[in-house]
Amino acid sequence: MRKLALFSLVILSGLSVGALAANQIIHQQGRVFSSESMTIKKGEAITFLNDDSVPHNIMSASKGNEFNLGSQPPGTSTDVSFKDVGDVQVLCAIHPRMKMMVKVTD
Amino acid sequence: MPGFSFDRSTLFVAAIAAAGLGIFGSTRISLGNAIVGETHRVDLGQKAPSGIDAIKAQYRRPLTIPFPKNNSFTPEKAALGKKLYFDTRLSVSSAQSCASCHSPGFGWGDGLEVGVGHGMAKLGRHSPTIVNTAWGAIFMWDGRLATLEEQALGPIQSAGEMNMPLDRLVARLSAIPEYKPLFEAAFPGQEINPKTLASAIATYERTIVSERAPFDAWIEGNEKAISEEAKRGFVLFNGKATCSACHEGWNFTNDGFQDIGLPSADVGRGEFLPGVIKMKHAFKTPGLREIGRRSPYMHDGSLATLEQVIDHYDGGGVDRPSRADLMKPLGLSAQEKSELVSFLKTLSSDLSPTAVPVLPR
Repeated sequence: MRKLALFSLVILSGLSVGALAANQIIHQQGRVFSSESMTIKKGEAITFLNDDSVPHNIMSASKGNEFNLGSQPPGTSTDVSFKDVGDVQVLCAIHPRMKMMVKVTD
Repeated sequence: MPGFSFDRSTLFVAAIAAAGLGIFGSTRISLGNAIVGETHRVDLGQKAPSGIDAIKAQYRRPLTIPFPKNNSFTPEKAALGKKLYFDTRLSVSSAQSCASCHSPGFGWGDGLEVGVGHGMAKLGRHSPTIVNTAWGAIFMWDGRLATLEEQALGPIQSAGEMNMPLDRLVARLSAIPEYKPLFEAAFPGQEINPKTLASAIATYERTIVSERAPFDAWIEGNEKAISEEAKRGFVLFNGKATCSACHEGWNFTNDGFQDIGLPSADVGRGEFLPGVIKMKHAFKTPGLREIGRRSPYMHDGSLATLEQVIDHYDGGGVDRPSRADLMKPLGLSAQEKSELVSFLKTLSSDLSPTAVPVLPR
C-alpha cells in the first residue's frame, strides 16, 4: 500500500513538474509579461501563469492562432499551443501595456 | 513546488473567433485557433504584505514628462499646440475648441455629466480630463485610439463633436496669416497639414501635468501634509477597498479596461473586442489626480459626488458576466468611506491659472 502511495506520488509529482518543465512559462506579475518575445515550435505549448495579484485576460487575434483565455484569476495557469507558423501577437485585453510576440516556427 | 489541480476547461471557440474584431480591423476570423489546455490552480505561496513605506514608494511622482521619439518636445511645438488647443476655429462652427470640453477651469474636463458637441447636442459619455495624458497607454474611454496624436484629430473630425473635415481645417488655418510662421517655427519646411497639427496639439497636451498635491508632500516624507483620516484612507485604498488594483501608481491608473457594474447600456471596449466577455461594458480606468475638481464622475457622469462613487464600489455594482472579478461588495463602514474620500481629496493640487493664449489672426 505504501509502495502504491509512493508510486502515485512520484507519478503525480512527475506530471506536475513535467507540465512545467515541458513548456516555456510566461509570468504576468506586476501587469507585465516576463518576456517581450518568445520562439516556439509549431504544436508546442506556452504556459501562461498568472502569478500577479489581479485577474488577466490573455488573448490573441493573430490569424490561425487565435485564442482567448477569458478572465484568468491569480494563482492559475493555462497552456496554449499554436497550430500555425508565424508571428502571434499576444496581449491582455484588460491591461493595454501587456503585449508580447510569439514566433511559431516549423 | 507548485501544487496543481484541474480547475476548468477554457476552450472558447466562438469567443476566439470574434476576438480579433476591433484590434485588427473588421476581418471575421476563421476557426483555425491555437489550442487552449485546461486551467490549473497554482500555489503561489504566501506573499508577505507590503509595508506602508513600500506602498508609498510606488506613488512617487516622475521627474520628467515622456515624449515619444517621433514627436519630441520643442517649445515652438508646445506654443503652437496651445494656440490650436484654445482656438475655436478648429470646429466647423468656430464655436468650440479642445478647451471647451477639456477646460483648465474644470480640472481639464468640462464639469458636465456628458460632453456637449456640435449643435449643442449631448454626447454619449463624460468628457475625460486630459491631465497627465503624456503617460497614457491608450486613448478614449473605449481605447479606440492608440496615440495622443490620433486622439488629437479624433474629436475635431467627429461629426458629433467639432465636425470639421481635416482638409477644410487645413485650408482654414492656412488662410490665417499669423499661423504660417508659427507652423514654420515648429515644423521647419513642413506645411500646415494633419500631421503637424496633431503633433503640435499632442505636444501641448503632454505638458499638462497635475501639479504637486498634498499627497505628494506626504509621499516625500512630510507627515503633516495630509490628515490622519486621509492616511487611513490611503491604507484602505491599497487594502480592503482594492482601489489600487486598477488605480495604481502616481497617476492612479494602469489604463486598464474594466466593467465596474454601472447600469449603462453602453458596451464601451466591447465594441472593439466583442468576443471577450470581460470587455463588454468595460471602460478605461481614469487617473485620479485633481479628482476633487472633476465631478460628476464615471464614464457616463452618472455619479455626482465622491461619496456616491465610494458607495457604488462598496455595493459592487450590477452583477453580470462582464463585471470585473475585482468588483464585489466591500463591506466598508461609514467611517471607512469617509476616510477614502478624505484621501482622494489630497490628490488635488493648487493648480496655477492657465493663461488663454492670444490667437493668430
